[in-house]
Amino acid sequence: MADDNGSRPRQRLLYMHAQTPNILSPVLEMTIYEPVPGFRMELTAEDPDYPYATVHEAVVDGWQVVQFPLHQAEYDDNEIDMVGYQFILQKLEVVET
Amino acid sequence: MSTAVAAAPAATEARRCTLADYLLDDLEVVDFIVKGYHIVQPDLRPGLNEAIAAKLDVMQRNPGDAICDEVPELNEVLDHPAVRGALVSLAGKHYETMFHRHWHCKEPGTPYMHWHQDGKNRRSVTLDRFLGLFYPTAVSADMGPTMIVPATQYRNAPTDRMRSYGNIRGQVPLTVQAGTFAITHYDLWHGTAANRSGKRRHMIKFLFARTGDNEGATWKHDPQCMNRLRDWNLREQAADPFNQLSFANPLNVSQSDSYKERAIRREIWEQLTGEPLR
Repeated sequence: MADDNGSRPRQRLLYMHAQTPNILSPVLEMTIYEPVPGFRMELTAEDPDYPYATVHEAVVDGWQVVQFPLHQAEYDDNEIDMVGYQFILQKLEVVET
Repeated sequence: MSTAVAAAPAATEARRCTLADYLLDDLEVVDFIVKGYHIVQPDLRPGLNEAIAAKLDVMQRNPGDAICDEVPELNEVLDHPAVRGALVSLAGKHYETMFHRHWHCKEPGTPYMHWHQDGKNRRSVTLDRFLGLFYPTAVSADMGPTMIVPATQYRNAPTDRMRSYGNIRGQVPLTVQAGTFAITHYDLWHGTAANRSGKRRHMIKFLFARTGDNEGATWKHDPQCMNRLRDWNLREQAADPFNQLSFANPLNVSQSDSYKERAIRREIWEQLTGEPLR
């Protein structure tokens, strides 16, 4: 557990699922994971209110992409599997814990 | 997002109606093929929901598959012509009510449940397995409603991989009136929100299965309903069965996914009606 009273930069993670692998395509899902003890995400009955409409908007706001969607995986062009294309982004920031 | 509720005969007439009056129409069946769920609001007899809820409120152990022995009033729900009419429309004239059923009691203060499918995904081009979710009390947004993601039922998506999703644009909370019976495709992605209220949220889950192939449509079917042109201007705003089957895209997924979904939907429609589509 952190013992620096939150004075060091920590890795904030942003998972985004975009409509296509293009970073300008609309976002279908987004979740921010804050680097604080006990952090939990929630499913909510309210309509999601995303701070960014695209991956590009998040990049403009300082997030850095650390994982792009994989295109090398096997695929079957008759099948559908996951919803959207997953990008993982990070921001290194001092976060109050 | 609001929850679509099936149109039903006026309450004063309901008890004179037969199952045939409650069969779905073409647009409702197409809507299920596209979205994977249908909401039924049966006109249950006065006091039935309250009687069921009162028993569940004080139940201390989960009877599992024996829930209908503990709360026999649930059989009245399963036998209601609005419920049976929807199931005949979707699962065939000889659908089976399976032995497994479960009382899902979401206690006050319990956290959300992540997206999942029940069991292992077995995508096929038939509608053959269904969940029935019955809510004897009204469910508000803070009571841990069931959450569903329309149009995910045909995805070969292992539950483990769904763990990287939070709130998905287009997800639907089943915030419902007392007595609501929701029918979903077995493979539809679902979860729950957290119960932040001080009330128990009850849901009794049932399973239904098709027992044989359709010899024809089992709902209120107009054989001419697909005799339309694709409306490239209105697209999914054209509220007719043919254009819905062609263009509906509830999650705004990519073109390639949308085309694949369309192909799956068309195969299912042909399976259910025995009528080839143009």
